[in-house]
Amino acid sequence: MTFDLVELGHFAVILAFMLTVVGIVVPIVGLRTGGAAWIVAGRQAVTLVFALLAIGMGVMIYSYIVRDFSVKYIAATSNSKLPFFYTIAALWGGHEGSLLLWVFILSAFCMTAVWLHWRTQPAIIPYLIMVESALMFGFLALILFLSNPFERLIPAAFDGKDLNPLLQDPAMVMHPPMLYMGYVGFSIPFAFAMASLFSGRLGEEWLKVTQRWTIFAWLCLTIGILMGGYWAYYELGWGGYWGWDPVENASFMPWLVGTAFLHSAMVQEKRKMFKVWNLFLIITTFSLSLIGTFLVRSGVLTSVHTFATDPGRGVYILLFLVVVMTIAFGTLIVRSPKLKSQVQLDSIVSRESAFLFNNLFFLVATLTVFLGTLYPLIVETIGADKVTVGPPYYNTVFMPIALGLIILMGIGPSIAWRKASLENLKKNFLIPLAIGLGCLGASALLGMRSPLALGGVGVVGFAASTIAVDFGKLTAFWAARRQVNVFRGFFTAFGKNHRRWAGLVTHIGVLILIIGVIASTIYQTEKVVPMQVGDQLELQDYTLKFTELRSVTGANWKAQEGVVQVFRGDRFIAELRPQKRIYDVSLTPTTEAAIHTINTGQIFITMTEVMGGQAMIRALVNPLVLWVWGGGIIMGIGVLLNIFRPRRDGA
Amino acid sequence: MSATDTQTSDRFVVYWWHIVLVLALVALFSLFYKGLWGDPSALPTVLINTPAPTFDGPDVASGQPVSIAQFQGKVVMINFWASWCLECRLEHANLLALHEQFSRHPDFVMLGVNYQDRLDDARRYLEVYTAPFLNVRDWKGAISIDYGVYGVPETFVIDRQGVIRHKQIGPIIGPAYDQLKNRILPALLDGAAPAVS
Repeated sequence: MTFDLVELGHFAVILAFMLTVVGIVVPIVGLRTGGAAWIVAGRQAVTLVFALLAIGMGVMIYSYIVRDFSVKYIAATSNSKLPFFYTIAALWGGHEGSLLLWVFILSAFCMTAVWLHWRTQPAIIPYLIMVESALMFGFLALILFLSNPFERLIPAAFDGKDLNPLLQDPAMVMHPPMLYMGYVGFSIPFAFAMASLFSGRLGEEWLKVTQRWTIFAWLCLTIGILMGGYWAYYELGWGGYWGWDPVENASFMPWLVGTAFLHSAMVQEKRKMFKVWNLFLIITTFSLSLIGTFLVRSGVLTSVHTFATDPGRGVYILLFLVVVMTIAFGTLIVRSPKLKSQVQLDSIVSRESAFLFNNLFFLVATLTVFLGTLYPLIVETIGADKVTVGPPYYNTVFMPIALGLIILMGIGPSIAWRKASLENLKKNFLIPLAIGLGCLGASALLGMRSPLALGGVGVVGFAASTIAVDFGKLTAFWAARRQVNVFRGFFTAFGKNHRRWAGLVTHIGVLILIIGVIASTIYQTEKVVPMQVGDQLELQDYTLKFTELRSVTGANWKAQEGVVQVFRGDRFIAELRPQKRIYDVSLTPTTEAAIHTINTGQIFITMTEVMGGQAMIRALVNPLVLWVWGGGIIMGIGVLLNIFRPRRDGA
Repeated sequence: MSATDTQTSDRFVVYWWHIVLVLALVALFSLFYKGLWGDPSALPTVLINTPAPTFDGPDVASGQPVSIAQFQGKVVMINFWASWCLECRLEHANLLALHEQFSRHPDFVMLGVNYQDRLDDARRYLEVYTAPFLNVRDWKGAISIDYGVYGVPETFVIDRQGVIRHKQIGPIIGPAYDQLKNRILPALLDGAAPAVS
């Protein structure tokens, strides 16, 4: 073949890399000379970068489809027997491909933002092009010089080493792209924030323009994290969805600060307060996305997630991190004297202060996760000891903060701005307070003993009823005003308060998720028993009969499959088939869980090992575990309602 | 008065949080930088370059007594395993490959230590996975305590002088396998070059 497709893709990415330099330089020249043509050139540069990276991505995907094992990265992550569905996802199954996807999404967002805001934000656009181009430059340099997915393998491999079997899973196909869209999505408000700092246009405009971007990034990150949890839940086979692993924490920290930013941005929009604070939060959010990449990709921390690591890459990513964070925080420090907010806090009992506490709690929560994640590294750096920080730390430190946040979630949306009168407090919170305490008392009487669960029930009861009271009040108001019945009033209220309604729907999702988390963590029942065919096991009200152990074969794996029949009393409920798989190429064993849903809880069975006719059966009952994902879906609906609300205020 | 006001607002003022932020960033960056050079999965062992503890016990398959003393003057690779250990299965093919490659050398011995296992299970494991080398039973875990084993699998390499020269914690797969195969075992068997732990 005279024409080599892989080299074409490689060349496209090299060209894109060079064009990012144009994207950095051209807007600066444009700003200096005042020539609009320079800025247009910048727009063309970022558009071309996107097109070229799309070619690069296309070539990689095509090479995966035709299984071109002369590409080193493909030989390492794919195989002739790998099912088609996963051959494309295998692109982000490793370091090099993930980075390519990262920068591709970045370029797509950058181009979209530039075209979208071209007319309305002419003063910001040059800076946006410059900041985003600089970020793309940094990542493309990493790709081309230290982790090039287009690198050839000479001679070509006869067959590939196969994708890690744990990643051969539908949730894993979407999990990394969603996470990256979240991380990268925050780069747009970050770039706008930097633009406003560089240009000295320090008003509220950047917040209004980027509000939808922020919430979109937040949505992607939320979905990404939840999908990761879902994957861990049924693929890793330990019956949990969140293990406070460094890699999970790395995605959770930007989420926490991003959530704080989302809320405090509203205060600045409405009351022109927290100016420096908001800039600090968005810079921190984006920095944490980069730090996450660094922690995950450099091998600084150990994790159940095994990624290929390389100190050279680590040094580079760290250098990039230092440059970005120094410039961002440095500019913030230099500009901060001009950013004093004109408005002071009127009263400690006000919505402003509820938001302030919300931010404080989120930051403290982030700090606890941050310290827990880095503590092993800190200890290792100063001494020689080895420590690991496990779930007990997070459960004792993080959970109370989370409960505090839920109380604030109840208070925030309903308390008055500036200064809440006693009247306002009584009207909004007396009933919820009574309901919350009632829930707590009733649960205690019904025999609930765990303080965390009791606290959870209390605060969720309180927060849920504030939302109900809020809906009720608005509905009654509009029903009375329009002289219509409550149902019509409900929808009128929805139409009139789109953003508030959407926010409350998201909050309802959070509450449902929290109920699921509390129930499935505290009230999980577990038994691990060696069983032979014919044995049975009692688990809560259920009887599990181990009826058969057989061998089965899949497309690229062989497995031992146990057949477990679940009965409740004499009534047959379901037949579950947990598997112990061995993948043909990599010879990696995996444990496939078998799950049956009853109401909204699940029976979860894995066979941790098989020896002769005996199998080690691990059986769990996870009550209300579906509420976790259900809550996530409702949160997503709330955010979508917000993003697609009719534009009224020009924002 | 208003003139001075404008001047002060233009002048750069250092707030307390500036200092905190800068210090925090410097601390963070230096921590990350230092962290890059450590190996987070490395566990310290005090046994490197000390004489290997002696032990003896029955072979799992045959029940015949085995003693490490009988391998004096040879390079011994000791692998601690158990039938209930999943990671041991992961590395087993690599153990066989290493044995296949190095057993041609007259001075190489591979020795398994079966850690706290039921005899039936251990025998069945060896039947299924096969092991062309001896496996000492360590039912009470006494040998493992002498060697400071954190958990199975762990592997030690002892040189001709009976000194522990290498310790691998966790399965011999990936880089750990390459290191043993390409550097440590060849160095100890064929040259005087000191192996790194």
